[in-house]
Amino acid sequence: MTKKIRALGIGAVVVLWAALAAFAWIKQPDAFSDAERRKLAQFPELSTKELLSGEFVSDFEEYTLDQFPGRDLFRRLKAMVHYNVLQQQDNNGIYIENGYAAKLEYPLDTEALNYAIGRLNNVYKTYLEQSGSKVYVSVVPDKGYYLTQENGYPAMDYEKMFSAVKQGLPFATYVDITHTLGYGNYYFTDTHWRQEELFLTAKTISQALGATPPNPSEFTKTALSRPFYGVYYGQAALDLEPETIYIMESDLLKECKVYGYDPSKPTSVYDMNKLTGKDLYEVFLSGAQSLLRIENPNAKTDKELIVFRDSFGSSLVPLIVQDYKTVTLVDIRYMDSRMLGQFVEFKGQDVLMLYSTLVLNSGKTLK
Amino acid sequence: MLFSGIPFLFYFLPVVLIAYFLVPQRFKNTVLLVFSLIFYAWGEPVYVFLMVATIGLFYGCGIAIGKSTDITKKKFWLTVSVVTSLALLAVFKYADFLLENINRFTGAEIPLLGLALPIGISFYTFQCLSYTIDVYRGDAQIQKNIVSFGAYVSLFPQLIAGPIVRYVDVARQLENRSHSWENVTLGLRRFLVGLAKKVIVANQLGELTELFRSAQEKSVLFYWIYAIAFALHIYFDFSGYSDMAIGLGRVFGFRFVENFNYPYISKSVSEFWRRWHISLGSWFRDYVYIPLGGNRVSKGRWVFNILVVWMLTGLWHGAAWNFVLWGLLYAVFLLLEKWVPALQKMPTVLRRTYVLLVVVLGFVLFNAADLNQAVSDIGGMFGMSGVPLVTGTTLYYLKSYSIILLAALVGSTPIVRTAAQKLENRPVGAVLEIVMMAAFLLVCTAYLVDGSFNPFLYFRF
Repeated sequence: MTKKIRALGIGAVVVLWAALAAFAWIKQPDAFSDAERRKLAQFPELSTKELLSGEFVSDFEEYTLDQFPGRDLFRRLKAMVHYNVLQQQDNNGIYIENGYAAKLEYPLDTEALNYAIGRLNNVYKTYLEQSGSKVYVSVVPDKGYYLTQENGYPAMDYEKMFSAVKQGLPFATYVDITHTLGYGNYYFTDTHWRQEELFLTAKTISQALGATPPNPSEFTKTALSRPFYGVYYGQAALDLEPETIYIMESDLLKECKVYGYDPSKPTSVYDMNKLTGKDLYEVFLSGAQSLLRIENPNAKTDKELIVFRDSFGSSLVPLIVQDYKTVTLVDIRYMDSRMLGQFVEFKGQDVLMLYSTLVLNSGKTLK
Repeated sequence: MLFSGIPFLFYFLPVVLIAYFLVPQRFKNTVLLVFSLIFYAWGEPVYVFLMVATIGLFYGCGIAIGKSTDITKKKFWLTVSVVTSLALLAVFKYADFLLENINRFTGAEIPLLGLALPIGISFYTFQCLSYTIDVYRGDAQIQKNIVSFGAYVSLFPQLIAGPIVRYVDVARQLENRSHSWENVTLGLRRFLVGLAKKVIVANQLGELTELFRSAQEKSVLFYWIYAIAFALHIYFDFSGYSDMAIGLGRVFGFRFVENFNYPYISKSVSEFWRRWHISLGSWFRDYVYIPLGGNRVSKGRWVFNILVVWMLTGLWHGAAWNFVLWGLLYAVFLLLEKWVPALQKMPTVLRRTYVLLVVVLGFVLFNAADLNQAVSDIGGMFGMSGVPLVTGTTLYYLKSYSIILLAALVGSTPIVRTAAQKLENRPVGAVLEIVMMAAFLLVCTAYLVDGSFNPFLYFRF
């Protein structure tokens, strides 16, 4: 009896193994993973050169992982075993705390930080030192700043980072916004902050800039029609709930025009074309853009603002735009800062350098 | 190609199994040879030619030794095979170590060769050597069929990380081995156990040791967690690989020697080495220690023999001083155990603690990038690095890895095997076994698909 059960059972395991192998051989490759928000590896080029160099082997191995049948299901199984059976606190560095998915940002990468500070110094010396601009700098804490303090997760030395930014950019007035936020100001499944929760932050920055703080009563909170699956939704590979992105609309913002690469085709502050895209957060100022200009015909002053920023700036800037006739947003992750003079005239505008701890701690991303 | 990889599990292995079981008996070794060379060429597209040349050379030497009746000629061909294999190791594995030290001690600036180490060279050259030496001694018959000999040397289940299979142990199986559903099922069961040891346990522990290295806030407790985690990591990594190799061998009708027998329950260092990497220990015993005279010599010569064997054992693991010292550390403790009988008369718990301490500290030395790091790590374990006893980061990782550490500690003892044996002949045991096998397959696949941390420590040897 025991022998029979064993023989049948092991036969079933062998069949399962064979079935997975057969699927792996015959499955048509997918082009894109919605869960992971990335293109999937395709079958590599097969040539003698690629074979001898070992490139074919490494590319093929990547292909087999990306195209494995039921990849998302297997990733979910792994996450469940990792969290629930092995009781590991994080999966691929993603942890869930108080319902919020966040990534362990540890340790502090001082080399990356010093590089970023160096790049911003370079921008100042090249464009701002002689322009008469007032420069402000603010560091956006990632939600781990709040979650790790309360829950004992390893975290980068945030205070050391803030201090290094203050000391490394002595020409700029440092605007501390850590007290204006908490983890509740961020999306559950994404790195970013919620625009509807940023009025205190926008007020703090506006006051530092000498501008009028936004008045929440002038804004209307509007939910986007599609559910939002943040970047950690796919990375955590757990059954997390999708959430809603709200945008804060106002009459003033509706009148604003946003100019990107093509000056003949202005867009809006909230780009509804992105509603059909992979990342709903791109609704804010059209997502990743190296250079944008917001024209505000109803500005209360003739002042102009230049914001050196990452993606956190996309949802904050609409809340601080009201006083400024023009706001220029520069993302030197996507353009070489040495080319900037060809596109932007520096003539004493207010300048805000707004970077998240994630960008400052993640390699040499600023150009 | 890694056993614990999607390409092997779902692309390579199924094709090999289909081809192997479809062809008639007389072509099975050909199938094994062809696929073994593909397996090797997958990671070493150039060095596969070195392997083919090695097969040819040792095949020829074996024939020459076996067919010659003149002892001088026999010695000549044996010398050719020994010198060639040692030369291969010297060039590919030890040349840069030697040149670095010449440069360091003489101030010379001899350029390093910078050759990549052919995967598994230490394993397959030792297998080849065992063949020619055994033929010379008359312990083994010559293998006239080059396909069978090639299959023996390149046999992919144990090609790149052992166990070191001696020719005499598989000579008969190369010619005539039986295949059965029972062999297939028992082999696959063993393979899946090894895969789980590697993917679910060893890889997580390896990740923990990497996290220790990158952590900015170390503590005395973290140093100890690292040391224990690494000792468990290397055991599960290597014994997992051996399980997979032995299991695959069984699928193809081979019975390979066992390589591990719960070494961490040893009560002496000499017992540890009878339970750890058994095939390597017995290889050095039979082909180096005993030919040097073993212990049937003067005390001074015996000490010399022990030191030589353990220095070579250390060097076999890698061309660096920390490996040499690691080997000599064991020589010292083996000598101590012979000279200080009190060590063997201590209560069992103290003897096991002593062995574990030696082994754990030894592996810290083993895993260090250099001697400075080894000193720093061992100093850190004993509070000499100026770090606090414990930090929040340490507690986080301890909490995060506590289940896996506990599972690894239990799994490194015979507790699980004993429980499994009690259930083996009962229906509930069979059901449990099947559920575990299916779970191992699915969970390991899930971990591999997620592209987790997945190196193999013994590939570098």
